[in-house]
Amino acid sequence: MSRSQAQTSARASRQWLAAQSREVRGWLSLAIAAGVIGGLATLAQLGLMAWLISAVVVHDTALVTLWPYAVALAGAVIVRGLAQWLQETSGLEAGLRVKADVRAQVLDQLAALGPVHLAERHSAGSTAQLVDQVEALEGYIARYVPQATLAVVLPLIFLGVAFSLDWLAASFFLIAAPLIPLFMALIGMGAQRLNEQQFQAMTRLAGHFLDRVRGLTTLQLFGRTRQATEEVTAVADDYRRRNMKTLRVAFLSSAVLEFFASVSIAVIAIYIGFGLLGYIQFGPADQLTLFSGLFLLFMAPDFFQPLRLLAQHYHDRASALGAAEGLRTLLSQTPPQGPRMESLGSELDDTVPLRARLTDVSVAHAGRGRVLGPLDFVITDGEVVALVGPSGTGKSTLLQVLAGFVDAESGGVALRTETSVAWLDQRPFLMQGTLAENLRLVAPDASDDRLREALIAAQLGDLLSALPEGLDTSLGERGLGLSGGQASRLALARVFLSDAPLVLLDEPTASLDPDSEQRVIEGLTQLAAQGRTLVIATHHPAVMGMADRVLRLEAGQLHSQDAPASSEALS
Amino acid sequence: MKEPTSMQGSTRKALGPWLRLMGERRARLLFGALLMLATLLFAIGLLTLSGWFITATALTGMTLAAGGAATLDVFTPGSGIRFFAVGRTAARYAERLYNHDTVLRLLADIRGRTFAGLSRLSGRELARYRAGEWLNRLTADIDALDNLYLRLLAPPLVGLLAILVVGGILALAMPALGGVLLAIMLPLWVIVTLGMAVAGRGPSARRVETLERLRVRALEHLQGLAELRTFGVLGAHRERVEREQRALLDDQRRLGRRAALGNALVTLTVQGAAVAILCLALLAFAAGKLSAPVASMLPLAVLALNEGLAMLPGAFVQLGATRTAAARLNAEAATSLRDEAEGSLTSAEAPSITFEAVTLRYPGMGTTPALEDVNLHVEAGERVAVLGPSGSGKSSLAQLVVHAFDPDAGSVQLAGQDLRSLAPQALHSRLAYLTQHTELFHASLRDNLRLGLPVDHGLEEADVESALWQALWIVDLDDWARELPHGLETWVGEAGRQLSGGQARRVALARVILRDAPLVLLDEPLAGLDAATAVTVAERLDTWLDGRTVLMFAHRRDALPRCDRALVL
Repeated sequence: MSRSQAQTSARASRQWLAAQSREVRGWLSLAIAAGVIGGLATLAQLGLMAWLISAVVVHDTALVTLWPYAVALAGAVIVRGLAQWLQETSGLEAGLRVKADVRAQVLDQLAALGPVHLAERHSAGSTAQLVDQVEALEGYIARYVPQATLAVVLPLIFLGVAFSLDWLAASFFLIAAPLIPLFMALIGMGAQRLNEQQFQAMTRLAGHFLDRVRGLTTLQLFGRTRQATEEVTAVADDYRRRNMKTLRVAFLSSAVLEFFASVSIAVIAIYIGFGLLGYIQFGPADQLTLFSGLFLLFMAPDFFQPLRLLAQHYHDRASALGAAEGLRTLLSQTPPQGPRMESLGSELDDTVPLRARLTDVSVAHAGRGRVLGPLDFVITDGEVVALVGPSGTGKSTLLQVLAGFVDAESGGVALRTETSVAWLDQRPFLMQGTLAENLRLVAPDASDDRLREALIAAQLGDLLSALPEGLDTSLGERGLGLSGGQASRLALARVFLSDAPLVLLDEPTASLDPDSEQRVIEGLTQLAAQGRTLVIATHHPAVMGMADRVLRLEAGQLHSQDAPASSEALS
Repeated sequence: MKEPTSMQGSTRKALGPWLRLMGERRARLLFGALLMLATLLFAIGLLTLSGWFITATALTGMTLAAGGAATLDVFTPGSGIRFFAVGRTAARYAERLYNHDTVLRLLADIRGRTFAGLSRLSGRELARYRAGEWLNRLTADIDALDNLYLRLLAPPLVGLLAILVVGGILALAMPALGGVLLAIMLPLWVIVTLGMAVAGRGPSARRVETLERLRVRALEHLQGLAELRTFGVLGAHRERVEREQRALLDDQRRLGRRAALGNALVTLTVQGAAVAILCLALLAFAAGKLSAPVASMLPLAVLALNEGLAMLPGAFVQLGATRTAAARLNAEAATSLRDEAEGSLTSAEAPSITFEAVTLRYPGMGTTPALEDVNLHVEAGERVAVLGPSGSGKSSLAQLVVHAFDPDAGSVQLAGQDLRSLAPQALHSRLAYLTQHTELFHASLRDNLRLGLPVDHGLEEADVESALWQALWIVDLDDWARELPHGLETWVGEAGRQLSGGQARRVALARVILRDAPLVLLDEPLAGLDAATAVTVAERLDTWLDGRTVLMFAHRRDALPRCDRALVL
């Protein structure tokens, strides 16, 4: 990516983040208001403390007569504590709400984009977006955004008070305060690049570790675990040595902040001290009193505090910007529209109604050109159609078009009104939960008996009877591991439970042994017997054998349409 | 997860091994904490001395203005103030740099230790872990420990020392003031460390688990999108995702509110203490027990404590999460510690393999065993094919031979010796096993191949080189490797992704060949190879396999090199 592109995308990410924070501006305003009240209470507290010292030390007032001021002082401290609590909890609420809101947006978008667009990204990557990237927004919204305002407003209020006390002392603040962001920006620019490098190195380090963990079985078999352990430590140590270089620069920004805060306090203390002694013959120094001097000194650390907090929250901003980049790209993609629903009649010379009609359909993938079409054909109700042809010829794409996961670039795809679709592919979806939960996903109200019938129809009856806990057997990481063939048949059982008239199957028998394959085909035959329309992409002759029609695709185009017998002759 | 009965006990148990590991760097940790303390003390010194100076100069100035005679040494405090200002900056910079160096050293230690623990896991556990989100969880757990020192160890210690130092300064001026400060601040310290840990214990431990469940549900949601969407039940599953999210947000809200309460308490107490010390100091001044400059500098010392305590509530409210992560890592490393036998194989010749009435069950499969009463004898130097459909127990048979786990009944013997009596090293140095799942490492092709060499091969580099090329020739990759722009230095991507499936398979096979072992197990050795290559590789393998005891596994016999006999499962 070129530099200007990177800048444009960084700006777009900032705008996206700003739009998200507008959704919770009520909570953010509350946080900012609480921060301002806390700042005012701080001023009141520090002023009263200076005033008390001055009254007792300079004016010899008895402390007991000053009790109303002491009470006010206690009040200011309490207000300060409450305001801080309110600021934090309001910011927190804003952050949590944004997370819930963005997660809902991402879930909506993922659902709309569908599995094909998703397959272009790694599913673990999309999970990370939904979970970790959204988590990364909280710190930014909850802490950075309110603090960014407070870091401007509070020093200005303090500055105003300081000016009314002694304009020369106040101008030390004035000089130091803008210098801090300036220097930090200068260092920050360098540090940002270093940070990115560090992030990459960290990713590589984590990658190396996970890679070796993933391959532990192999390392064990080759007796190399001790060597690999040493290597893991050595790589992490090498990472440390290289990173200390970057950190030496990165930490300069906090040193600069610390330097200005410390030096300002020192300069103000020495200026006030010499002013009070009458050593300073110019400016407002002769107006200084113990009260104004102490007040200015007390103020100095709190003047810099909002800026220091902002610097502490700076990494929240960096990680939110990183997350925003990915989330924004995901949310801006256009989802497919899916097929039109039409009241398809029957073809002229046929009394059987149509289930689907494709007119001049072609599909293109970015970077690969046209992968399918132009295609022109109809599928009648109750038909079993096998899609065959070499891999990469568009069989899966055709199924995806029918399912509405991909839009045709040109031409029309129509399904008969109220056609719902059932889908089965090579990698059936298993959820952590019981067997029954996995089935009820598609038919929430189905009785246990119906679930059993569906399992039997999908040729899983003998597995079910072998399980002591039956339908309540857990599947997944800690439970029963299903073989590939069993998982395919479980997906088939789901199809039996749904009443979808159009069933789309992508290689339902791929990587199954002949016995499992035969069982799946028996299941499919039963489905067809229920009058459902089946469209099956397949390589297997046995599956082609059960089809009413075999559509042979080559390079995305319809090569031939045959009855199964003649297709076997062809192949 | 179960609520522990005693939090302190379970925290010590969970974090104990990691604290001991950190203890090996005691000196560094201590020095880092001292730097933190120095930064804080410089800040206290700067404010306190400034307050003293201003009051002192004000009083001297008033005396001079009233025509009195007074002198004040302005240079010593002036240079003291400058010293503290510069010192604070320098200490802060040094502290951050030094402590991050320490944290990165600890990171190397923690990873090394975790890896050593994991590398003792048995094959069955590794197979279980490979599925699902275990790797993500492992990363998150290790990350939680990386920051243990910087968040939970050094800051409370430094905070406590700072309280004692400020208490000491106050006590020097007036013992009672020091007592008052400690009476206020020590309970606060206990509340913001232990109290916060207790307040956050439930939700922070739960948060870790909920986040993981959310991750699992989210992954399901995405992997099942095609089916969920077409069946029109996306909303129902989405409700499961949202439920986990709500639970997570609720816990985060609880934790955030408790931390906010802790932070507000720190502000309230530190500022309140400053006000109290101010009033007491002024009373002491009025009674003539304290000078004015000292009376006005003491509250400033108290105010500076805020910096040392402000970060504690937020860190300690999350202690439960760190403890959970540590406990999980402990558990994962500890499950694996099986007793390792010492026995070795007596002969370097090809061994025979014997299965005697072997039964194997997998958890979750109830009463149906994966293998039931299997008897099998393979002669030394014999070549046997094991055939059967997927799920028939081929891989289980192989796993038993390499002693990835023990059978539930019966025994497996190599050259007449029960596997349970053999040291893992003795067994692994005698066998080469091509697993069904191809595992290549993110490293150069050469490093991936060299992994196969016997650990103590004792070969000259030139001999190693010719062995590598010989192995590549057998799997028919030598020409391909010679034409690579970087040759054997070519980087093989994550899980070997920059190679095609067939190439990755053959690299794994070459690695097995390099082992030059008398016992060879090949699970689907020719899978994913085109017909012509399969024939070439099968012929060359045939010669190489001569004189070794060989078990081969496949769906069908024609997918294997020549063998003496075949068994069907």
